[in-house]
Amino acid sequence: MRARYPEGSRSAVLPALRLAQERHGFLSPAALREVADALDLTPGYCHAVASFYDLFHLQPVGRHLVEVCTNLSCALVGAQRVVDAFEQELGVRAGETTADGAVTFRVVECLGGCGYAPVIVVDHRYRHGVRVEDVAGIVGELGAGA
Amino acid sequence: MTASELVNLTIDGIPVQAPKGTGLVEAAAAAGIEIPVFCYEPRLGPPVGACRMCLCEVKPGPPKPQAACTLTVAEGMEVSTALTSPLAMDAQNSTLEFLLLNHPLDCPVCDKGGECPLQDLTFRFGPGVTRMAFDKRTYEKPIPISPTIALDRERCILCYRCTRFSESVAEDGQLIARNRGAQSTIATFEDEPYRAAFSGNVIELCPVGALTSVQYRFEARPWEIQNVPTVCGHCPVGCNVLATTREGKAKRILSRNHPEVDGGWLCDKGRFAYTHLYAHDRVVDPLRKIGVRRFDELSWDEALDELERLARAADGRVLLALSGSETVEQAYALSKLVRQGFGSNAAVFPEEASSALDAFRLPLSAIHDAQLVVVLGDEPVVERAPVVDLWLKAAARRGTEIVTVGALGSVQRPAGTAAQTARELGDESSELGRRLAEADRAILIWSGPGGHGGVHVAELAGRLGFAAKPGCGAFYLPATPNGRAVAEAWAAAGKGDQTRLDHVGLLLVSGEEAAESPRIRELGARADAVAAISMFADPLRAWVDLVLPGTSYLERDGTFVNLEGRPQRLRRAVIPPAPDELAWIAKLAERFDVELAPYATAVHAELSPLLFEGAPFGALGERAELPPRHPVALPIAAPAPAPAATEHGGPLRLLRYRPLFSGPAVERVPELAFQRPAPEIELSTDDARVRGISPGDTVRVSSNGTSVELRARIEHDLVAGVARAAEEFAGALAGAVEVSRT
Amino acid sequence: MPARSLLLAGADERDLTQLAEYRAIGGYEAAAKAAAMSSDELLAELSAANLRGRGGAGFPMGRKASLIDRASRKPKYLVVNADESEPGAFKDREVIARVPHRLIEGCLIAARAIESTDVFIYIRGEYLAEYEVLERAVDEARAAGLFGDVDVVVHRGAGAYICGEETALLDSLEGRRGQPRPRPPFPPIQGLYTAPTQINNVCTIATVPAIVSMGAAEFAKIGPESAPGTAIFSVSGNVVRPGNYELPLGTPIRTLLEEYGGGVAGGRKLKALIPGGSSVPVLTPDQIDTPLDYDSIQKAGSFFGSASLIVVDDRCCMVQLALRAAKFYMHESCGKCTPCREGTRWLVQILTRIEAGEAELSDLDLLRSVCDRILGRALCALADFAVYPVSSYLTKYGDEFRAHVERRACPFGDASSIAGITAPIDQHLHYPTVEIPA
Ligand SMILES: Cc1cc2nc3c(=O)[nH]c(=O)nc-3n(C[C@H](O)[C@H](O)[C@H](O)COP(=O)(O)O)c2cc1C
Ligand code: SF4
Ligand code: FES
Repeated sequence: MRARYPEGSRSAVLPALRLAQERHGFLSPAALREVADALDLTPGYCHAVASFYDLFHLQPVGRHLVEVCTNLSCALVGAQRVVDAFEQELGVRAGETTADGAVTFRVVECLGGCGYAPVIVVDHRYRHGVRVEDVAGIVGELGAGA
Repeated sequence: MTASELVNLTIDGIPVQAPKGTGLVEAAAAAGIEIPVFCYEPRLGPPVGACRMCLCEVKPGPPKPQAACTLTVAEGMEVSTALTSPLAMDAQNSTLEFLLLNHPLDCPVCDKGGECPLQDLTFRFGPGVTRMAFDKRTYEKPIPISPTIALDRERCILCYRCTRFSESVAEDGQLIARNRGAQSTIATFEDEPYRAAFSGNVIELCPVGALTSVQYRFEARPWEIQNVPTVCGHCPVGCNVLATTREGKAKRILSRNHPEVDGGWLCDKGRFAYTHLYAHDRVVDPLRKIGVRRFDELSWDEALDELERLARAADGRVLLALSGSETVEQAYALSKLVRQGFGSNAAVFPEEASSALDAFRLPLSAIHDAQLVVVLGDEPVVERAPVVDLWLKAAARRGTEIVTVGALGSVQRPAGTAAQTARELGDESSELGRRLAEADRAILIWSGPGGHGGVHVAELAGRLGFAAKPGCGAFYLPATPNGRAVAEAWAAAGKGDQTRLDHVGLLLVSGEEAAESPRIRELGARADAVAAISMFADPLRAWVDLVLPGTSYLERDGTFVNLEGRPQRLRRAVIPPAPDELAWIAKLAERFDVELAPYATAVHAELSPLLFEGAPFGALGERAELPPRHPVALPIAAPAPAPAATEHGGPLRLLRYRPLFSGPAVERVPELAFQRPAPEIELSTDDARVRGISPGDTVRVSSNGTSVELRARIEHDLVAGVARAAEEFAGALAGAVEVSRT
Repeated sequence: MPARSLLLAGADERDLTQLAEYRAIGGYEAAAKAAAMSSDELLAELSAANLRGRGGAGFPMGRKASLIDRASRKPKYLVVNADESEPGAFKDREVIARVPHRLIEGCLIAARAIESTDVFIYIRGEYLAEYEVLERAVDEARAAGLFGDVDVVVHRGAGAYICGEETALLDSLEGRRGQPRPRPPFPPIQGLYTAPTQINNVCTIATVPAIVSMGAAEFAKIGPESAPGTAIFSVSGNVVRPGNYELPLGTPIRTLLEEYGGGVAGGRKLKALIPGGSSVPVLTPDQIDTPLDYDSIQKAGSFFGSASLIVVDDRCCMVQLALRAAKFYMHESCGKCTPCREGTRWLVQILTRIEAGEAELSDLDLLRSVCDRILGRALCALADFAVYPVSSYLTKYGDEFRAHVERRACPFGDASSIAGITAPIDQHLHYPTVEIPA
């Protein structure tokens, strides 16, 4: 991983954090220490970096991650109704995880899918033009529900 | 500077000339115009342009205000600050409005109040009223980020001075900014204490009351304090400090930037250890031993009678043990008393000193600009002369090649072979030696242990031709703040050669470092009587017969000569709880018909022709200058280096070291306890593996029939064959040690 | 105006993610042609083409490349900005997903022009599928021996809009918190790892092969003289056929909206046009004939930005829209400089109060004043981006703002198309923050 970047640079931090998150589910203090040790950095530095970026989780998240874009283009074509439907279906508010730990649900900023709105992301894969009617099926796929 | 390198510009209409590359803030300051700043601090690296306090109108340039701190002067530039530009005024006013939006405005209960840049700039440039009618950001306040530093996040203006210090000056990477945007906060990893040698500097860097000193919190208001310019007495760097006092008590230590010595930084020992003045066992009256562990107080008259009696009874067999932390004046007075009054020429010093290094003198700041620095020795620089470590880091960042050769070096050598290495580097076959000889700006540093280090490094410098190259120099990092000058003061205070005593009638111990030294205690056990001058009573119980109160460097007037060879002035910041040493030494001297003045000024006048070429006491300014180099006769004769033990697989060689956070003063400062090392023994990866030892294992370390149990730490940078332990945990271990799992 | 494909040419007919397919339509021939040219010749060609940066600022790509200190002893870097995060923009994503080799070919040519052998493509972390396509294409091209002594590294971001700002991107790529750097020094002098660095948007670089193959002179004939070439326009919002349309610059908004986008959805009334992504000042329906090029849009009071048209119909409350945009910029403010960090939060607070019908008329003046005090004073343009929507909606839809105050409620009631829209104020689940109370 480090070989792709010039010697002495810290460029491998983001890839390393991503890898650690994939392995541990989230960036626990232990995971941050692991990254720090591997790259000869302090855990504090790794925390500073990780906490800057939205894709890193510093707290446990569910086995699945469902994200709905509520930025302008999606908002204009009904994103909030999709959010409401997910909250209803999952029984949690945005930013929360279902009690069984299956799904973390959150709203996010623009995903770059504005022409195919509303856009949601399920476990890092985009789904375009999601309608309220689709929500129950998506939740079903994840094996979760209120 | 030639005229072609000067550029012409105007600032607020005033023509200004400044060398190319000068920052706009500095150029304005030189012209008497203040451009207000918060985040800008050149000592922290390149400007970051974060706070936007310095916005000015600059032509040519875009039609919006520019951050002056990020610009350098250019020919024909027209700068308008808030003084003349309504746009700049509005911009600066806006910045302050934004900064104050979420600021708690709790100035009346804030330690920074009265000496706060945020307060000052708000007064001058800020809005008079608040338009913030919403909830402010709130945080738990204040939280300790270490036992010495408190953080109030509500007051923080996120200028990132503290985190930049941590990341790019001290390079400890511990104080960080976390989160993003309006939720950004300063923090440590998992709220663990900020444990690093230089952490306290962030308090001084903080331009608001967000980072404050736990020791100083609620102790004083700026208008009730006095700041006394003096010099730190905890190590041989001699950082320039201000001692803040209130009602005669020391309240805090601040840096007083000497750009050649300390660059405005202090280590945490220098900053926080001052409360040793108020230690529970501080000696304030003379004491006499009356039982196994008990002392009785004496009057001064009785005490001087007693010391006179002991000295006379010793009949010339008096041995003076010096600490190296005495002022030159004190050491001279004491030496003169012993040599001319008590009739003894016997003294022991904390370490050998060599005057040969005077031929290779350089200011410490020269490290920063060097091409190549070679550090010899087995002890990390930070433990012997902490701020020198910051100079080395700054140099490395600038591109200086730093080679450390020793047991913990980038080039690994067996412990105790530094003298041998010095020999080798002087040899023509050494590639590194050749590069040292060829460089215009090369520096040698000897970083412990002692063993005639000064002579060895001086000899090497001589061989490399450094004497003729003004950019090349050599430093010896002594173990004591003033050791060499103390030895010279002794030498100047009498005639005749140093003698060795077979039998000691009176051991006179000067200072708490000597009093804590096992070597001195051993001498004491064999002496008829022991008298000690010390600040602290506890270590003297059971073996010292007579105790005279000692003073701290903060309580003294006098001179210290730092490791560069720079004489610096100590100023009494607080009155000691007992008469100072010079006062009673002079009295006692009278009884032995020795003439000695009771004041530092007068003692200095007497010794100056012998030590300082007659320079008067008053000539030592607040920013003392480095005396010119003194040529020495070359070649310098260094003793032949002792061959190092290099057996394989056998016992390990014990490397005892004195951690930065140790010693009689630090031990008496509870806030520094967290900085002290754990009871550990450091082993190389190889040695640990061979012995089946993992990090954290409890191991038994033994030698000559004694043993201690310590926790094992694997130190990747440690050479094989060595076991490293702090003095305070090494007990009576010495020489070769066996290390095994329990 | 007819559609004209340079960037997306051939993608409708073939699977251009495959190297063979791309080569079948002449792919990598431009790179071969460039390999026979000196870097000076290439620079001259790129400058003559007057290709203006598609990342937002519209700086001529060739001129930027000429600023690179090619004599520097340090390595020279080419960095492609694929962090596309501007609300309304999704053009780079399409290029990467459908014509990755064109982007890679552009990289090889641009690298040659600045005498660089090290190319980094910084792609936003959310674009996982696109990353996979790009990484595969890079591997395929490398394996085919097309790289020569150049190497291309695809580096993934991790979710931070600010990393699209070029100097923040560099900090992020260096493994730091992605916060902008002060300029000067500018990246061509001191960029990635303090070495001379050329940074361009995906579409800028992906246009380069077309310039080399057709020649700068031919290229300059497409679109207006001040800004030749095509752009991929992202159309979104209340429109019949949202999507990406590649058209010559200078195409009027009306053509894009009506001819390509099929007009306002449901036959509703057009209320507002946001021509360059959410960060640019809004245009009103009467400005629908503005040509989409840098100068024309600027004359109309807005910016070309990321060539992204957001169409807003008459059901939308502009105060809510301003608030939602402000929340985005507050969420994305990096926290380094004062006006942005503090100002964006203040904007949200004031707008929240207005939206709730709890504000006084003086709060509208406060809002205006705060906008004025942020604009042009921050370290990077994000803070300005936060101001433009708010101040332009306030100027152009002032009645709606006043109505909120006077009626003590949103005049739309619950009927606004974006009523109740939420935003991810909490940046991380582990520091949950409540909605900011007004
Ligand atoms: C806050 C902010 C976000 C930006 N985001 C992007 C982005 O996502 N993609 C992009 O190409 N340029 C973005 N830019 C513009 C870049 O800073 C830079 O101008 C651009 O990458 C240069 O490429 P170009 O000359 O090819 O346009 C952004 C600028 C700012 C201030
Ligand atoms: S304008 Fe915003 S995003 Fe840009 S540097 Fe300032 S705080 Fe960061
Ligand atoms: S002092 Fe210039 S931005 Fe902070």
